[in-house]
Amino acid sequence: MAQILAVSIFVVMFLLVVTEKIERYIVTLVCGLLTLLLVFGAAMQNMDAIIETLNVKSIFTLGFWYTAGSAEESASGINWATIIFIMGMMIMVEGMARAGFFRWLCMKLARLVHYRPVFLFLTFMVMSALLAMFIDSITVILFLAAVTVELAKLLKFDPVPMIISEIFCANLGGSATMCGDPPNIIIGTSLGYSFSDFILNTGVLAGISLILVIGYFYLIYGKQLKRVTVSEEDIAKMPDPKEAIRSRKDFIISSTIFGGAVIMLVTHAQTGLTVAYIGAVIAVITLLTAGKDAWKLIKKVDYKTILFFIGLFVVVGGLEQTGVLEKIAGLIGSISGGNLIVMAAIIIWISAVASAFVDNIPFAATMIPIIKSLAAAQGADLATLAWTLSMGTDIGGSATPIGASANVVGTSVAAKNGYLIGWGRYCKAAAPATVLVVAVSMVIIFIRYC
Amino acid sequence: MDQQIIITVGREFGSGGHEIARQLAEQLNLHFYDRSMLDEVAKATNVEVEFLEKYDEKPRKLFGSRRVGAFSNSMEEIIAELQFENLRQKAESGESFVIVGRCAESVLKDVKGLISVFILGDLQEKVKRIQERYQLDEQEALFKLKRHDKKRKQYHNFHAEGKWGDSRTYDICINSSRLGIEKTVELLKCYVEERIRTF
Repeated sequence: MAQILAVSIFVVMFLLVVTEKIERYIVTLVCGLLTLLLVFGAAMQNMDAIIETLNVKSIFTLGFWYTAGSAEESASGINWATIIFIMGMMIMVEGMARAGFFRWLCMKLARLVHYRPVFLFLTFMVMSALLAMFIDSITVILFLAAVTVELAKLLKFDPVPMIISEIFCANLGGSATMCGDPPNIIIGTSLGYSFSDFILNTGVLAGISLILVIGYFYLIYGKQLKRVTVSEEDIAKMPDPKEAIRSRKDFIISSTIFGGAVIMLVTHAQTGLTVAYIGAVIAVITLLTAGKDAWKLIKKVDYKTILFFIGLFVVVGGLEQTGVLEKIAGLIGSISGGNLIVMAAIIIWISAVASAFVDNIPFAATMIPIIKSLAAAQGADLATLAWTLSMGTDIGGSATPIGASANVVGTSVAAKNGYLIGWGRYCKAAAPATVLVVAVSMVIIFIRYC
Repeated sequence: MDQQIIITVGREFGSGGHEIARQLAEQLNLHFYDRSMLDEVAKATNVEVEFLEKYDEKPRKLFGSRRVGAFSNSMEEIIAELQFENLRQKAESGESFVIVGRCAESVLKDVKGLISVFILGDLQEKVKRIQERYQLDEQEALFKLKRHDKKRKQYHNFHAEGKWGDSRTYDICINSSRLGIEKTVELLKCYVEERIRTF
């Protein structure tokens, strides 16, 4: 009974999230509440399951903030480390955006390559991937797409090829690190992997893929961009990068905090500082240095996303506590016959296809207990399954205009400026690139880990 | 006419609202905008107008698009927004015009010289008009009417503040079946002229 209820609530939640009839945070919160009341309360009558899923106690343990030696593995239920980290990053990124950091960076790089479209195209792809390693891909694309459109209007070229390439590279960059994409944060904090674990595994896969993808996009779009000529007159019309900086003091402070956050993240396995600690510290420092603007930064936090995560973790906790996910893991295990190569192939392609059409965050959150159970029951290497899941969910989202948040923001920014990107135009370029990266990642996973 | 006036015409499918709006614009010597506004959007976006027409005045489909905060990549929403922006620009330029549909009464609600009209009709009259216009039998016409009105309602209620067809949303609602097209136009013309005196 509890299993049927948990699955029903999950399916209803998933459908409502996909159809967007009701705001997704309301959907997950109501479904989370129903999970607590009906699944844990009425069907299981298990108070311990409720306490374990709410997971509030974990915040008050030392291991939540600091781990000596290896990273701490989180219990099931609400992943507070992910939530605190994401909130911290939101506050820091808002501070950087207010100071004009992102616009300045885009304009500065554009000037460095003398506004030549082909070089802009290549530089922006690399910058998109590098920034998305540390900053959420929505913010990266929001600024990159806006600047791309602005430059395209001034230089009279079609910005759509650049925007599609930037979106793809932002998603790819996000897959390289633990903090680049929400699925990776959840995977890292749930399974106890560090920033360096990600960079040495998914980072290598993303790096190789980036080289291939740059070649691919150059092949399909290079000719078109080469035809665009830029005159000295055009260059003279370009805005000065310095104009993007709203306050020199804020710019220096926010850049320093960002630098500090990157250092803390890169070294957190060595220092023992958890991502929850890093998120909390960067938020506090950003707010303290913001002075009277602190309240404005707090108000800018996307609370709807935070609430969405909380509800989602509870619903997935319901599936986990009732043993539904173990059954799914058993099914994958029996199909693969315990063969890691087959398991990895199933996970990467199912994740990629699912993420191309539905939000990859609920998908990743659901898959984590499954791969945990697969590793425990079949003896498969958990880390291999984790990197496979990460690449599948992060990259799969690039295939369609609805696969990842960055795709929605990028295509929406383009459309608001009169450049419509339909499914056909988007998928024609991005779907083959997605298949290429997923296939290459799978082969490397086979060679390196299986 | 020195004073800017913008007449927005909402309508039920088959009510003759489009024709009433066109004749009203002609008699008042005002620009008339309807689906033709898509031509301007098509020119600005360098996209075929036929492509835009597929998504015009339609609600967002359940699948195939997503929203992230204020950003949506639904073609229906994007094309609606592009038309709203076009409307705002026209209003800001001081132009006087008649506009059919496009949630104009809500998009331009702050314009001083705005007059919002909604045209409804008796079911039988509407079905008859649709049958004649599209060469359909009664059932087909009824089906078409219901489908179009449902879509218009969803589209309107998603983008606009007031409810579609609700008398509180508009300055004046008229059943075109009572007086017929021409007399309804005359009545509306009188109403508009009276309203202009109050501006």
